[in-house]
Amino acid sequence: MNRFLRLPPQILRLVLLALGIVGSYAVARHFLTPPSFGEYGFYRGAALGEVAARPAVLAGREACAECHADQVTQVAAFSHKGLSCEGCHGAGQVHADNPDVAMEKLHYSHCVRCHEANPARPKWHKQVVAKDHYPGDKCTECHVPHAPSEVP
Amino acid sequence: MNEATNVVLELLPHFEGYVYPNEATPQPLWSVLIVLYPYITGLVAGAFIMASLVRVFNVRALEPVYRLSLLTAFAFLLCAPLPLLFHLGQPQRSFQVMITPHLTSPMAIFGFVYAWYLMAVLLLELWFDYRRDFVEWSRRAGGWKGLLYRVLTVGVDDVSEASVDLDRRMGHLLSVVGIPSAFLLHGYVGFIFGSVKANPWWGNVLMPIIFILSAIVSGIALCVFNYQVLMWVRRRTTDIRCLDVMGMFLFYALVVDAGVEALDWIHRVYSAEEGFQMMHQMANEKLFYTLNLGQALLGTLVPALLLGALQLLRRHIPELARRRIYFASAVLILVGVLAMRWNVVIGGQLFSKSLRGVMSYKMEFAGMEGWFMGAFLFMLPFIVLTVLIRLFLPENPPGGKTDLPEAAPPARLASQPGAP
Repeated sequence: MNRFLRLPPQILRLVLLALGIVGSYAVARHFLTPPSFGEYGFYRGAALGEVAARPAVLAGREACAECHADQVTQVAAFSHKGLSCEGCHGAGQVHADNPDVAMEKLHYSHCVRCHEANPARPKWHKQVVAKDHYPGDKCTECHVPHAPSEVP
Repeated sequence: MNEATNVVLELLPHFEGYVYPNEATPQPLWSVLIVLYPYITGLVAGAFIMASLVRVFNVRALEPVYRLSLLTAFAFLLCAPLPLLFHLGQPQRSFQVMITPHLTSPMAIFGFVYAWYLMAVLLLELWFDYRRDFVEWSRRAGGWKGLLYRVLTVGVDDVSEASVDLDRRMGHLLSVVGIPSAFLLHGYVGFIFGSVKANPWWGNVLMPIIFILSAIVSGIALCVFNYQVLMWVRRRTTDIRCLDVMGMFLFYALVVDAGVEALDWIHRVYSAEEGFQMMHQMANEKLFYTLNLGQALLGTLVPALLLGALQLLRRHIPELARRRIYFASAVLILVGVLAMRWNVVIGGQLFSKSLRGVMSYKMEFAGMEGWFMGAFLFMLPFIVLTVLIRLFLPENPPGGKTDLPEAAPPARLASQPGAP
């Protein structure tokens, strides 16, 4: 201890200051680290429960089929069969719980999101340069999304 | 319809050729802020190396810029992580980096490198260098400045011969530790890019070395710039001997840097690996102006010729012309190194991993990562430096003793063992 106190004054102060900084860091870390941190990995363990507890926004195809069986059956016969209903129509849990709440209105951009010409897309995928293809903004004037091969 | 078309244009990024869907983003993921991050970090490392020329290598002619270079390194180091922080968003969460430190992510390790350099090297070296002045100024200055200086003495007012000698030895030791630390700081930034092996523009073992060398060049250039601007603001003449020596170091550092970068390119051109066609295309099209004009011509060749000519013809060129040439070279080098960082960061993201297509980058003006923010983040260290200079490099320091860069106490070096 005597030897420690005999350190040159500026070094002694620096050592004390460093100990103070490290000490306050240790205290801050003790109080600020979330309790469940590192329980399963490098994240808050409690986050899993919190995420699972969030209300679902997607209802799933079965929920749609309860009322819209015709459309679900129709779309299953065409190449859009792999798509989920909510992929185009938007999240539907609220609507499924209460049919009075309307679904999101479909927009032009729902179609061009997949069908706008893009060299990164495979050749077999139908693509158009939308603004050259048709000047209007309603794809459904010519196309039937639930039966894309059919022309009305 | 207009509305719908706008949505389409916004949705679809601009690219040519074949790019993968995940590359078809409207903007590269790393924007101009990520260009500034290695640029500012490099300026820190370079300015510190510049200061250590005085401390470790006893280059006495550079004594007038010793403190200025240290303060420059400090001001820029304080601002170095800001571009990263702003780019990531959610700055209120940044403290969590410290609360739950990660030990294997390369980016997280930069935090440790940064903290080491700031807390264990730069701050300590500044403190030991300034301690005697803090004690003296705290006795003479009043008001908040006096209080600040008093706090900075940490309550130690011993300025006996033996005590000051210990400060000097500690400063020397820290400089010796600081040189590899400065190399580590910026070499690490180069390593982060160089270790991306999937990207032929980045994945290169020479990357850390190129980053360090260009950092030294840009740091010395920044010190030349700052010194001349400071002297101009204070209406004083620059020490031409100091400028000549800085110019000499700048020239040789530039030659070594250009040599290694040229080596890198010669290697790439000769080995012409699979990514080479794409790099050739980048150099001729997307990066034509920043690489060929900005980095190679204006940032390297012109200053190398100017500074090289001064090495040979120094005696025949009047002082005023030399000062102007040094200033012009410094500015050109600073622009050139910025262009180099741009070429590395943005260039590496402008071509597809398929090597068959190119993307584009159009900087926004006022957005989170636009021109305005970039300019602000680059100006910020200069503002911090102005404050630091006012406090710690005052024209009329408390007590009346001039402590201008020109008149920095030569006694410190003269008393150093081994000084010529």
